[in-house]
Amino acid sequence: MLSQRQLALVLIAPGLFLVAALFLYPLVFSLISAFTRPDGSFTLEWFAKAYELYSGDIVFTIVIVLASCVLTAVAAIVIAGTLTLGENPWIVGTLKALYRWPLFIPFIVAAQCMRTFLAKNGLMNNTFVSLGLMEPLSAISFLDWRGIIATFVWKQTPFVALLLAGALASIDRATLEAGRNLGASRARVMLELALPQVMPTLLVALVLSFVTMLSVLSVPMMVAGSQPTMLTVDMAFRINAYGDYATANALGVITYLISAGAAIIYLKRGMNQEATS
Amino acid sequence: MRILTIACSIAALMAASPLSAQTLNVATAGDQNMVDYVKDYLGPMFEKSHPGVKVVSVGTGPGDSGSQKIYEKLDAQKAGNATDFDVVVIHQKAAGTMVKEGLLAKYTDKVDTSKMVSSESAKNSLGSDVSGFVIPMFQSQTALAYNADLLKTPPNTFAELKDWAAKNPKQFGYNGIKGGMSGVAFVTGWVYAFGGDSDKLIKGPYDPAVKASWDKALGELKDFNKNVIITPGNAGTLDMLNRGEIAIGPVWVDMFYSWQADGKLPPNMKLKLAAPGMPGQPMYYAVPEKTANRKLAEEFIALATSPQVQADGIVKKFNWYPGIDAKNLEGKLDQAAWNKLFTDITPADLSSKGKSFPIAPYFNDILESYEKKVAN
Repeated sequence: MLSQRQLALVLIAPGLFLVAALFLYPLVFSLISAFTRPDGSFTLEWFAKAYELYSGDIVFTIVIVLASCVLTAVAAIVIAGTLTLGENPWIVGTLKALYRWPLFIPFIVAAQCMRTFLAKNGLMNNTFVSLGLMEPLSAISFLDWRGIIATFVWKQTPFVALLLAGALASIDRATLEAGRNLGASRARVMLELALPQVMPTLLVALVLSFVTMLSVLSVPMMVAGSQPTMLTVDMAFRINAYGDYATANALGVITYLISAGAAIIYLKRGMNQEATS
Repeated sequence: MRILTIACSIAALMAASPLSAQTLNVATAGDQNMVDYVKDYLGPMFEKSHPGVKVVSVGTGPGDSGSQKIYEKLDAQKAGNATDFDVVVIHQKAAGTMVKEGLLAKYTDKVDTSKMVSSESAKNSLGSDVSGFVIPMFQSQTALAYNADLLKTPPNTFAELKDWAAKNPKQFGYNGIKGGMSGVAFVTGWVYAFGGDSDKLIKGPYDPAVKASWDKALGELKDFNKNVIITPGNAGTLDMLNRGEIAIGPVWVDMFYSWQADGKLPPNMKLKLAAPGMPGQPMYYAVPEKTANRKLAEEFIALATSPQVQADGIVKKFNWYPGIDAKNLEGKLDQAAWNKLFTDITPADLSSKGKSFPIAPYFNDILESYEKKVAN
């Protein structure tokens, strides 16, 4: 007979094997390729090359993803707050019905829509012009960094808002109502009473969004021109144009480090909270 | 006993079926239109003349990355008995690598239509000797597309274009080098125009010191880029031309004509090949060394490169320039279809200003110097 312990091991073995074969093995492989020459000796030259050619894109990627996270957070707080504390049933009902839609639309489809929506003579500007809100000559194209951020925020906000609204629904409403009774505005109740209680959830959602946005290839490729662009596009280009896996893997390691940075900030905060409580 | 009989007959059927129903796998690197060309046009035609054969068309994606995927597959199956692909349609850069690594079969002497091929690119693919291994499926060419209403006299040379862009900011658009080959072709044309000896880049030999001589040209390109729009992709340039957001930009000639035929570009768009010229490239039909259906693959390519198919499929239906010498198409094509292909770019333009891409090491140097000096 198998002992309880052995049985547990058998049960997790398939999962463990999948993680090892499909994630750990390629990860180690790409790490090795990023740090070695073809003859197998250790080198940092791929990182030097990555820095020389793509330093601007590294900064661009971080700025884009951070800015998108901040805007996503703001939009998600507004939506989740309205859903929790809103008093007009029409607004709450409509928002509830609508806000989750982008969740079901893949990044590539969103990018394709934005490509015609945000263009200089695209749907958005044409609508403004035909409504008389804008002169045709003052129309500008948003198909650059702004387009990438807009697509990311549009796509990630429902995900963050969904988690946040769930967390808000489960906190003790008495504290919120006490705040309201004492005359605090809804915005103040949201920011000072509700939000601190759901901060861990918000952070988890944002860290997940951060990592997701960091890994998207289709949006920067389709929405914006390639100068500057995000690291995913550079990695694809390294492989497709030069067959150069080493530098692509070096860029991959840089991406790991960026996403590890986000994870560390999150973990640190968690530990601080445990220490204080 | 009965079950055993049934099992045996099923096994026998399964063993025999490859003989009666053969499958020819055709892998195509390229845009969807090329995959469709095999799937909807060539495949059914071949199946009709070869009863019992099924043609399966697989697309591996546009651009050099599509060819890279075919290369990786053949390379991975090198040690095996047979490859999954029987016919591959590949780009120039990958063709050189595959021939060097022995992944392709020398087959053109078995295919009669190879005698009708006259272009240099059938022998020399970006500096690699590929004669015997490939037959061009078609020739494609890049050129500047412009809106004739916004731009009455298009620039005749790259130098004129440079001045024009400085006077008309944000009216020229191209897709950089990471968004598709039309942008790469423009950058290559720029280096041909301002970077010195373009013949050496096309014919070799390779000298790693040459790239230093492009510094001035690339510095000017960086300044030029401040006055232009970087578009998202080959289709992005055409989209922006269509919406009137830019007045001129580099495009693939076949895409241009197809979009115009579909009504996705207004009829006032025209093409111009600015001097000293812009590059074009062929796609190649090749046969993997380890295919199990070599004979069938050769017959498929013979059909695909026959004058009638080149006239109807390549020129008339898809607006590419033929892969075999154009004189073989005489009489197979009506005058209107022929004229359409040469309305804006005359055959004389094409022979003087339709260049090749540089040999592979220079090609990589141009791309990487651009990343270093212009983009970052």
